[in-house]
Amino acid sequence: MMAANPQTTAEANVRDVTAMVASRKLYSAGFITDIEADKVPPGLSEDVIRLISAKKDEPEWLLNFRLKAYRRWLTMTEPEWAHVDYQKVDYQSISYYSQPKSMKDGPQTLADVDPKLLETYKKLGIPLREQEMLAGVQNVAVDVVFDSVSVGTTFKKKLLEAGVIFCPLSEAVKNHPELVKKYLGSVVPFADNFFAALNTAVFTEGSFVLIPKGVRCPMELSTYFRINERNTGQFERTLIIAEAGSHVSYLEGCTAPQRDENQLHAAVVELVALDDAEIKYSTVQNWYPGDEDGKGGIYNFVTKRGDCRGARSKISWTQVETGSAITWKYPSCILRGDDSVGEFYSVALTNHRQQADTGTKMIHIGKRTKSTIVSKGIAAGRGQQSYRGLVRILDSAEGARNYTQCDSLLIGDQCGAHTFPYTEVRNPTATLEHEATTSKIADDQLFYCRARGIGEEEAVSMIVNGFCKDVFKELPMEFAVEAQKLLAVSLEGAVG
Amino acid sequence: MSAQPHELATYSAQFERYANALTAAERAPRSVQFSRFLASGFPDKHQEDWRYSDLSRLAEQNYEPDVTTADGLPIVLLPDADALVYINGHLQGAPSTSRWHSDTCELPPPATGVDALNAAFASGGLRLRLDRNTKLEKPLQVLFISRAEAQASMSHQRHRIELGDQAEATVLLDFSGGGGERLATHFFDVRLGRGAKLTLYRIQNEAAGGTLVTRIDAKLSRDAKFEALTVDLGGGFIRHDLDVVLAESGAEAIVAGLYAQAKNSHIDNHVRAVHAAPHCTSRMTYRGLVDEKTKAVFNGKVVVQPGAQKTDSEQRIANLLLSRKAEVNAKPDLEIYADDVKCAHGATVGQLDEVALAYLRSRGIAKEVARAMLLRAFALEILDRIEWPALRTRIEAALHLPSELTVDFEA
Repeated sequence: MMAANPQTTAEANVRDVTAMVASRKLYSAGFITDIEADKVPPGLSEDVIRLISAKKDEPEWLLNFRLKAYRRWLTMTEPEWAHVDYQKVDYQSISYYSQPKSMKDGPQTLADVDPKLLETYKKLGIPLREQEMLAGVQNVAVDVVFDSVSVGTTFKKKLLEAGVIFCPLSEAVKNHPELVKKYLGSVVPFADNFFAALNTAVFTEGSFVLIPKGVRCPMELSTYFRINERNTGQFERTLIIAEAGSHVSYLEGCTAPQRDENQLHAAVVELVALDDAEIKYSTVQNWYPGDEDGKGGIYNFVTKRGDCRGARSKISWTQVETGSAITWKYPSCILRGDDSVGEFYSVALTNHRQQADTGTKMIHIGKRTKSTIVSKGIAAGRGQQSYRGLVRILDSAEGARNYTQCDSLLIGDQCGAHTFPYTEVRNPTATLEHEATTSKIADDQLFYCRARGIGEEEAVSMIVNGFCKDVFKELPMEFAVEAQKLLAVSLEGAVG
Repeated sequence: MSAQPHELATYSAQFERYANALTAAERAPRSVQFSRFLASGFPDKHQEDWRYSDLSRLAEQNYEPDVTTADGLPIVLLPDADALVYINGHLQGAPSTSRWHSDTCELPPPATGVDALNAAFASGGLRLRLDRNTKLEKPLQVLFISRAEAQASMSHQRHRIELGDQAEATVLLDFSGGGGERLATHFFDVRLGRGAKLTLYRIQNEAAGGTLVTRIDAKLSRDAKFEALTVDLGGGFIRHDLDVVLAESGAEAIVAGLYAQAKNSHIDNHVRAVHAAPHCTSRMTYRGLVDEKTKAVFNGKVVVQPGAQKTDSEQRIANLLLSRKAEVNAKPDLEIYADDVKCAHGATVGQLDEVALAYLRSRGIAKEVARAMLLRAFALEILDRIEWPALRTRIEAALHLPSELTVDFEA
């Protein structure tokens, strides 16, 4: 696509990224945008939740939903089973709502958006401006979330023509309350886990997508999340509903500025696929990972779950996780409909002192349900990398199948790579396979590249990209290019 | 949540009675262990290692100490082996031919959960100690016969196997009996000197009913070789932990297991190999035939500690799920902190191959026979490792799978 037309925005973005990569060694999205923000003072209480709810002008039922979650959250304890070690979060020192001040009156069109914000996204290489995008072949609609509010959603008109609803969640609450009420919390219950309950209590923004019956979404949808403000957390909530026979591909990108303190990101993503529907959800997560000594960085504690409610529905998760100081994330599929399919493709990289405990859950309920898990973990520096996956086949899942492959690559002798694959089978007609390997970069491969005049870092990056190929090929084109670059940047300094 | 002390009142009463009979010096370390047990309670499913095997139901039990005689119990001794016979934890003088018994035991550092309960009450048991360059002439069969009492009863034993440099031994831990409401815990402390070689079999064929918790901790010195093979053929609630530490380079641990034939059991195998030094090898091979209402749990874990380069490890777990009521929970973990290592693991759960079954049927082999042949072929991976003919014969007999092809053309 991009090779065909070098003038496209996507190509320009890639060039931008490349230039950033070339100009500096460290985190390329680590700039801070200097705009005034309207921020709720740090702390969490029912008053703060009421305030958030009031600021967003929410209906009574939503406030009650939040309060119910908050009250339950107070009784819950932070999970400790993950293979990560971090300073516990002080939930009272976080500000649960931050909104750029100039947005207070709400921009009506993209032209009203603070140019500084647009500048930020330009630096990140997000094609926000519609006209730019129309000029190029790139066909992506973007919803950008900055701290706690949505900045603007592109391509709204074209999507509406197709009947697709793509808007910030707060807008959906106003315009389509019955849909939000029906589906919100139906995949990830309000008290699902500690971080999901916290999110339910304080979630601020996110995207809402509804693909009507039989519609193939005319373009890829995308959300870009960015944490900008100091001492804030980001608690977005995404809800995607694919009605019978529909199809959508959704991309999600994340960045945050460089800061010395840890910031919390606790998102919830809910996907619902009805009969014959297909949702493809791709993430490139590049939250600030902290510096080489592990100072600062984002705590990425995310609950993502897809519900294949309809027969023959399909949900596919693809993730490239290169950022965050701590990652705690298990995008899952509940395969409820007969013949439904769940997929999980993941590349996770931990360098310096990053720690990741990530994987998936595949719950087979329907007959002949199928799931595929391909996980590639790369640990470098002092990074700790864990794959934790659950495949559960219930007694109703006649003829269910699972294939799991998780490979780990170790770069350096200070890092760690771990695998915790849970399998629970209760149906004798099910077939389940799990394979895993752990190795380092083969000396002969490295030698081969070096002998052909390829620099060591470049050679490592090449081999790593080859290692991840099975996952990258699942990503949409723009993301695949970005992911490869990200991997190269994240690995810098890991060799030699 | 963990059991609270007030729920463990029956255990406190037992311990008080037990401790009163001890001297002050004996009592102090036992009390430490018991208070640790009170603090931690029985492990429950909120503890990662006990996720599938919740023991908290035992908190309400009232177990009396054992008073046992051997009268009328069938004791099956293997030929050409020495024997130690314990019934409900008590040594039986007459059938025992081996001298490797000790009435006393050494206590571990303060433990938690079941380990602490074991340490608080434990009596002695097997104590095998071989000097360097010696070889145990005959294999040693240690029988642990569990006998149902009129009231619920419990016994706890601690054992030790210590092989000097280049020493060699073959030991069989043979668990049988059962059927009543019993709780038995066993702890085996295994130390292998340089170049020592231990072949350790553990066979469990108890009747359904009781709870059996066994734990083997093995520590291997340089070039030591540890071969462990475990076979579970029955039992009520069975939990077996095998923890191997490859402490010095060149050590090798080959562990294998089979769980089959159980009807209504809970069989939990937790196997851990810790590579603490470079150039060590570990192999785990487990196979399960899970039928009827059995719940099988397998948790394998290979830990490669920092600096344990050139580690070579492999975990292979295969299960055949044969009934709608059965359940398999398998988890082959890897925890790796060194880069120059070869670590692979694989797990499968499936059913009998319909094509293979159809092939045999088409050649006139009755369905039941064909099925048994395929099951046996699956189990052979483990059975073939048993280098003790009399033992293998006994296990094959218990498996009820034909070892020879019988073709019935009438069928």
